[in-house]
Amino acid sequence: MPIQILQGTLDLMILRTLATMGPQHAYGIANRLQQVSEDALNLNQGTIYPALVRIEQHGWTRGSWGKTQNNREAKYYTITKAGLKALNEETKRWRQMAGVVEKLLAEEQ
Amino acid sequence: MAHWRRIIAQLRCLLANKRVEEDLAREVASHLTLLADDFERRGMSAEEARLAARRAYGGVEQAKQAHRDERSQLWIEQTIQDLRYGVRTLSKSPGFTITAVLTLALGIGACTAIFSLVNAVLIRSLPYGDPERLVYLFSPNPSLKIPVEVICPSYGDFYDLKREAKSYADMSNFEQAQFSVTQQGTTQRIGGARVDNDFFSTLQSIPELGRTFAGEDNLPTHAKVAVISHSLWVSMFGAKPDALNRSIQLDGANYQIVGVMPQEFEYPFKSDLPYGDSHSKSTQVWVPLALSSQARTSRGIGNNVSLARLRSGVSIHQAQAEMAGIMARLDKEYGADPRDAGLPREWGALVESFTGISIGPVRPLMRLLLAAVGLVLLIACGNVANLLLARTAERSRELGVRAALGAGRSRMVRQLLTESMLVGVGGCAVGIVLAVLFLRLLPKLDPGNIPRLNEASLDARVFLVAIGGSLLTSLLAGLMPAIGASRMELTEFLKSHAMRGSSAGQSRLQSALIVAQTATVVVLLAGAGLLIRSYINVESVDTGFTRSAVTFRVSLDQSHITAQKQGDFYKELIRELEALPGVQAAGGVSNLPLSNSESIGFLWVEGFLNKDFQQTEGRGVTPHYFEAMEVPLIAGRYFTEADTTGNGATIINQKFAATYFPNRNPIGGRISTDEKHAHWSTVIGVVADVRHVSLEEEPQPQMYNTSYDFGDESVAVRSTLPATTVENEIRATLKSIDPSIAATDIHTMGDLVSVATARRRFQTSLLTVFAGIALIMALVGLSGLMTFSVNRRTREVGIRMALGAERRDVLLLILTNASVLVILGLALGLACTLASTRLLKSFLFGVGQYDPFTVVTVSVLLVVCGLMAAFVPARRAASIDPMQALRTE
Repeated sequence: MPIQILQGTLDLMILRTLATMGPQHAYGIANRLQQVSEDALNLNQGTIYPALVRIEQHGWTRGSWGKTQNNREAKYYTITKAGLKALNEETKRWRQMAGVVEKLLAEEQ
Repeated sequence: MAHWRRIIAQLRCLLANKRVEEDLAREVASHLTLLADDFERRGMSAEEARLAARRAYGGVEQAKQAHRDERSQLWIEQTIQDLRYGVRTLSKSPGFTITAVLTLALGIGACTAIFSLVNAVLIRSLPYGDPERLVYLFSPNPSLKIPVEVICPSYGDFYDLKREAKSYADMSNFEQAQFSVTQQGTTQRIGGARVDNDFFSTLQSIPELGRTFAGEDNLPTHAKVAVISHSLWVSMFGAKPDALNRSIQLDGANYQIVGVMPQEFEYPFKSDLPYGDSHSKSTQVWVPLALSSQARTSRGIGNNVSLARLRSGVSIHQAQAEMAGIMARLDKEYGADPRDAGLPREWGALVESFTGISIGPVRPLMRLLLAAVGLVLLIACGNVANLLLARTAERSRELGVRAALGAGRSRMVRQLLTESMLVGVGGCAVGIVLAVLFLRLLPKLDPGNIPRLNEASLDARVFLVAIGGSLLTSLLAGLMPAIGASRMELTEFLKSHAMRGSSAGQSRLQSALIVAQTATVVVLLAGAGLLIRSYINVESVDTGFTRSAVTFRVSLDQSHITAQKQGDFYKELIRELEALPGVQAAGGVSNLPLSNSESIGFLWVEGFLNKDFQQTEGRGVTPHYFEAMEVPLIAGRYFTEADTTGNGATIINQKFAATYFPNRNPIGGRISTDEKHAHWSTVIGVVADVRHVSLEEEPQPQMYNTSYDFGDESVAVRSTLPATTVENEIRATLKSIDPSIAATDIHTMGDLVSVATARRRFQTSLLTVFAGIALIMALVGLSGLMTFSVNRRTREVGIRMALGAERRDVLLLILTNASVLVILGLALGLACTLASTRLLKSFLFGVGQYDPFTVVTVSVLLVVCGLMAAFVPARRAASIDPMQALRTE
């Protein structure tokens, strides 16, 4: 069964993707997310657009038009310094959160 | 930080919406292309790949919308959308828009104007420190049957009070006075006041230039000084500061100017005093009271007004209790004053607030006007709500389609509300323009006794009320239809595929609104009707004198100090006036009717069971006064020249005769006005009752003596020539006798009557205008509802006609519908009227609060107008072509 994306985690995943892979267009990001999740994410590719514009408006990425290897035009997103910082913080927060949830679940059993 | 950056970015998106949208479309297209490329690479055909890409991407529009929602402040964007859409739809139906905006504008304009008036009169603060703590001190005497606010404590009592009372921070005594001032060759009388040193400090008013009175200014022996008003400073001294080095001639004496008061300070205004000098509208000059030591201790009735400022924390009741104690002690300490004509020394204590005296009398009027415009606004509100309801019903197809395409309910309500808000803003803008126009007209109706009416203007507070009122109105008016629309059942709508799917509930709501409006109009019409009837009654009161007599007032100066000189002057004046061409009679009188001045005396009648303190109005007249005023003679004869020699001839009025000479002939009866009965006068004639005090009060017993010895006197002239000619002749005659004496207050008696009825005219015309506006609005509403219902019933009417109904039947059907609403409204309105006219009672004269004539007139007017309003749509219904009607749906 495909899993739903937790609120707010999409931003983190996109930032991580950009930090790992360097500048990417929306399709690339969406593809990467599907690959990593081994298709477990129930992701219409269009659903990442709000997250893309949100992080761009926060100043964490910068978008610019470029060409793909096949000479198609695409909008590439590059992570900024502020984006890297935000990625660090968000990662830390996620780990804390996941730790707490994990601990709680373990105790329950 | 990132948060702020985001908001700025959002706003930027809002501004560059078009570019951002293009960018997004490009990005989505590129995304789809990349997806399709991949699918093709995996071996799909171009077409298959395109479809697969679409599937993988998901809803393009949803993604775009989610992007839009995320990238900008949603509500701003939607509001802009709504506004744009609202303006477009409103301009598409100008009939609706104009009616709605005008209706609202009328309601808001009337409300704003009246609120400005109320604001100026009741709410805006007076320029006298804290006016709530200013009080007048009166000492009514139970033996005198006159209003309690006439007599203030005598000077002696006042200064004792001032010494002993602890309730007041400041106390002042002043007298009103009139002065002759010569300006560019013409002599004028201006209102003035003789004041003590505490006058200005009690009012907490400081001069804009120079100083007020202090120290020795108020000693009788000190050099004469004066403080002048701002307007006098401007008119006489060109607003030059060197006025302080100059002097002003008052009644021929020089007064050194020491101060100029600021513009708004002209205390006392006419309306500031309960029984002030009616010749003085406002005060232009203040001079020291300068009492002699003898006057300071006088215990007789004076002309003074006692004004005081309560210490903070002291209530009026406490002050009055304290004053009562002191007055009771003084009553014991001092005997009756010999000059008070046998009046026992029992002066009471009465403390009344300044605002109560000055504003109190107009408070009920202000409330009445506020209530009336409130009702007008309610009707406007109902009308706009009705218009919007009808419009929503007509647009139900559009709304249904939008809902079917996925428009959210709240989104649609917001859209409808935006539209009604647009109507509200339009109404507010036009309404303020109307209010300004209305405020321009208002002073033309000025009855002269509403304080600060001319200062009514649109200030910030009024603006806030107007804007708040209109937005609230449109919100309320828009809410009902919006909620109605949002409740629409989509499946029902789609099933019925109706052209106009308005629910029965909505049409009931519209009918209820019309009934409520009609009822409100009935209340207003009935109120206006009662006031009109009262006004007609007052206008047709038998005043006892002719309105065509031209009257003027003469004040003799220091050169006519002896009775002999005064008598000679008036004899000559009357003789010269009567010699003028066209003049039929001329006569002087100590106090003209309706001049707010009365002289009251005690009397004893020979052969009558006299009681203590019988009162009569007394007047001195020259022999031809009654002829000049055309006061009808009832019995006996008028005065002749021979009567002026002091033979004690007296003329009384009918009321006097009926009261003191019951069942006997008053002619030859004897009357005494002194308690020792040393002097008796004989009744030689009975004249008709004259309305001296007011048009609306029953005449009291009145008696007249005749002589020529007056200091100040009013003169009445009856002539066959027009009033303006007579006025010029009067001025010329007076100038030829003594150029230093001015004729002031030249009016016809008709003018005085007009002044006396001005307040009534003011309230009656305003209420009538409001009732008229309300009637028109309600008729527009009714007509609109009928048109709407005819539209909706086109099919039904078509079927009826196809089945054989005559045009007449259809006409009747619609008219019956309208009549039911009108008659329901009428019944409800009459019930409300009966319940509420009690509040009007104090405004009525000579007409009962349940006046059947008014009720019938209002009912007939309403039914006739209602039918007329319904006739146009009814005729349209009757002219429906059945074939066409059946095809329309």
